[in-house]
Amino acid sequence: MSSTLVADKPSGPPSSPAGAVRFRRLRHLNELGLLAAVVVLYIVLGVVAGGFLSADNQLGILRDAATVGIPALGVTLVIIAGEIDISIGPAVAFASVLFAKAASEWDFGLPIALLLTLIAGALWGSAAGWLRARFGVPSFIATLGLWSALGGLALYTTNALPVATPGGGFMEALGGKILGVPTPAVVLVLLFLVFWYVARRTAYGRSVYAVGGNAAAAQLAGIRISRVRVVLFATTGVLAALTGILMAARLGSGNGGAAAGLEFDVIAAVVIGGTALAGGRGSLVGTMLGVVFISVIANGLVLLGVNSFLQDVVRGLIIVGAVLINVVISRKSLTTRTT
Amino acid sequence: MTIPSPPPDRTAPVPAAEASGLNKQYPGVRALSDVDFRIEPGEVRALLGRNGAGKSTLIRMLSGVEVPDSGEVRIGGETLGHGGVRRAVELGAATVHQELSLVPEMTVAENLFLGEWPRSGLSGVDFPRMRREAAEVLAELDVRVSPEATVGSLSLAEQQLVEIARAVRRRPRLLILDEPTSALAAGEARTVLEAVGRISASGVAVIYVSHRLDEIRQVARSVTVVRDGSVVDTVDVQEATTTQIVALMLGQAAREQEPFAPRTVDRSSAPLLSVRGLTLAPKLEDIGFDLYAGEVLGIGGLLGSGRSELLRSVAGFEPEAERTVAFEGRPVARPSAAEMKRLGVGMTPEDRKGEGIVPLLGVGENMTMAWFAGISGRAGLSSRRAAEAGDELARRLAVKTPGLDTPIVNLSGGNQQKAVIGRWLHARSRVLLLDEPTRGVDVEAKQQIYRLIRSLADEGAAVVFVSGELEELPLVCDRVLTLQNGRFTREFLAPDITLDDIMAATMAVEV
Repeated sequence: MSSTLVADKPSGPPSSPAGAVRFRRLRHLNELGLLAAVVVLYIVLGVVAGGFLSADNQLGILRDAATVGIPALGVTLVIIAGEIDISIGPAVAFASVLFAKAASEWDFGLPIALLLTLIAGALWGSAAGWLRARFGVPSFIATLGLWSALGGLALYTTNALPVATPGGGFMEALGGKILGVPTPAVVLVLLFLVFWYVARRTAYGRSVYAVGGNAAAAQLAGIRISRVRVVLFATTGVLAALTGILMAARLGSGNGGAAAGLEFDVIAAVVIGGTALAGGRGSLVGTMLGVVFISVIANGLVLLGVNSFLQDVVRGLIIVGAVLINVVISRKSLTTRTT
Repeated sequence: MTIPSPPPDRTAPVPAAEASGLNKQYPGVRALSDVDFRIEPGEVRALLGRNGAGKSTLIRMLSGVEVPDSGEVRIGGETLGHGGVRRAVELGAATVHQELSLVPEMTVAENLFLGEWPRSGLSGVDFPRMRREAAEVLAELDVRVSPEATVGSLSLAEQQLVEIARAVRRRPRLLILDEPTSALAAGEARTVLEAVGRISASGVAVIYVSHRLDEIRQVARSVTVVRDGSVVDTVDVQEATTTQIVALMLGQAAREQEPFAPRTVDRSSAPLLSVRGLTLAPKLEDIGFDLYAGEVLGIGGLLGSGRSELLRSVAGFEPEAERTVAFEGRPVARPSAAEMKRLGVGMTPEDRKGEGIVPLLGVGENMTMAWFAGISGRAGLSSRRAAEAGDELARRLAVKTPGLDTPIVNLSGGNQQKAVIGRWLHARSRVLLLDEPTRGVDVEAKQQIYRLIRSLADEGAAVVFVSGELEELPLVCDRVLTLQNGRFTREFLAPDITLDDIMAATMAVEV
């Protein structure tokens, strides 16, 4: 080996601004890609699927998107924290039943019924979170238990029959539109703003990222990881309950078999939105785009008259494909040194 | 895959490994530029450089983990190309990475043959043969663990030796050891060094990465120094002085290690933190100490002496630990982790990667996460205040980073460590418990961390400095307690702290 001495280089930080800018750009690559995909979908479906761009259809998409999107906000945080919640579908169904029964059969009046349902959601969610935080029960198992128990309760208490909700202006507002926009969509947008703020601008939100990124480090930094975990699942419980209420208001009844399989749409939307199942990384903007993406696809497949069984196949392929692209992109953008 | 057969002819004048014109660019940093490297069979070559200098990148290319943007790697004369790790292994390159990659639930023998378990006919794994061959390799390296032992039950040092044994078992022509002793105490490191001697005597080329110059002198003849992604020089370790080698690493005249100005620590008033009767079976027994404002208290002990458990117990992270704690003379009724944090006790863990950093979060956020209230404005967290706090900390601690939102995992170990310490400065901690803060960081970062610790003490903080590299203690500490088998054995006060005394106290055989 020759012993040439290399001239001294400045030993400052490596090409600071360029590196930082490049990193920032890559970080949003996923969202931009998803946005582009949604735009392409709109163009294609606008051309080939008759009635896709009609106002009625677009409002319908918004309503469907809200059903997936409202719980997806909470599930995004859950997944960022390195956990999972698969109880959404049955939780929504049971909440719709509970709300309908409280409002009609038990005659509590609408405000009390609404509050009661939300509190119940917070309680069952907390129970799952507590099992995770206190005993280390994997959240998949804790929420699998919820999935089964709530689904069973919803059918058992109703004998699988719809429970009618009372009418009235308030119910019509819940199930109808505000300024021409479906109420659930309005709720989704408001909640998105709240969650976006919580995730980016509150100690709790940042703690969620820290716990998901490295729970041991978060704990040593004094973050109360048990509390974070309980709150996370309480949140998804409340959001599922809210979704159930809105669904009952729209259908005019609580249904024990409603929202079957919703949990997987929710998880799919979150993961398509770029949130890593391993935790520590993810964004609510991505989730919203993911929600729109799968809602538009579902709607388009119906309009195109695809056989309903085949729709599931196509959706499955599209979801896996979208996540695959996502993973490839994020692997490129997160090339990290380990020294 | 079968065990690769040994290369047919080691006497041929073919270098064990050769790299020419290597270039590699990572996002935001040029990791290697025009690197040439060559090592002969039977040679032990030390590889030295500050963290982030490009050592690890070079190693990753030699072992096939990464492909250079341009340039070529040859192992035993054969081009590695895009063959990846598998091809590198086939050509005879074995690597022991800094992070352990053993399966804790499996036995030593199973780990040695991980993925290459010997088969017996159609029936499955040939356990007797596996045990026998594992025992042979372990005996060769003088590793005294049973092939039957579960890896998770071994000490960190033993696990490291198992890791090396696994690489040696493949009979490589090139063995790369990336800081094999950084987690080990002196006695345990010696076993590794002896093993390396034996391995090279059998004709294997060994690349030995380490920050410990004394080890390099024992094990290697020549050292290649890397700086800023380039090979600076290859020198004879016996002829070059430490000053010369450090100068090559730093790229400027190495500063003499300045002894810190001796100070008087006021130990007449109530101690800032007082701990009594700290017991954590089976690691710690009836530990008691006082910690005064403005002092750096060193705790010296070998690996497994209970150093980390001591700090974790004091900070409240060991629920099983019994102890009484007083803060500024007032007893603390319930010294939980939350309460100790509230009082201003902060701890940085030994395992920086596993418990210190949140890898994908930005440098700034890693520094502010212990006290979000400190960057809160009227409407939640304020990005302006976060930026101000981050900038100030980065400047005060000399954290080199492209930006505050750069994921911290992209920084070098030394800069990560400074950021983790900064976390507690941000949280206004007055008692800092630093567990091996200089582990695996380069010489320059070590000096910065020493200076930082001293200046924090000058400002009135109390620092507990735990280190397995005992030679650090006289440099930084006002007082040193030695820990052996879960008890404090000796106390030394500046200026009468010497390495010899500390060594003797920590390694003394208990009667």
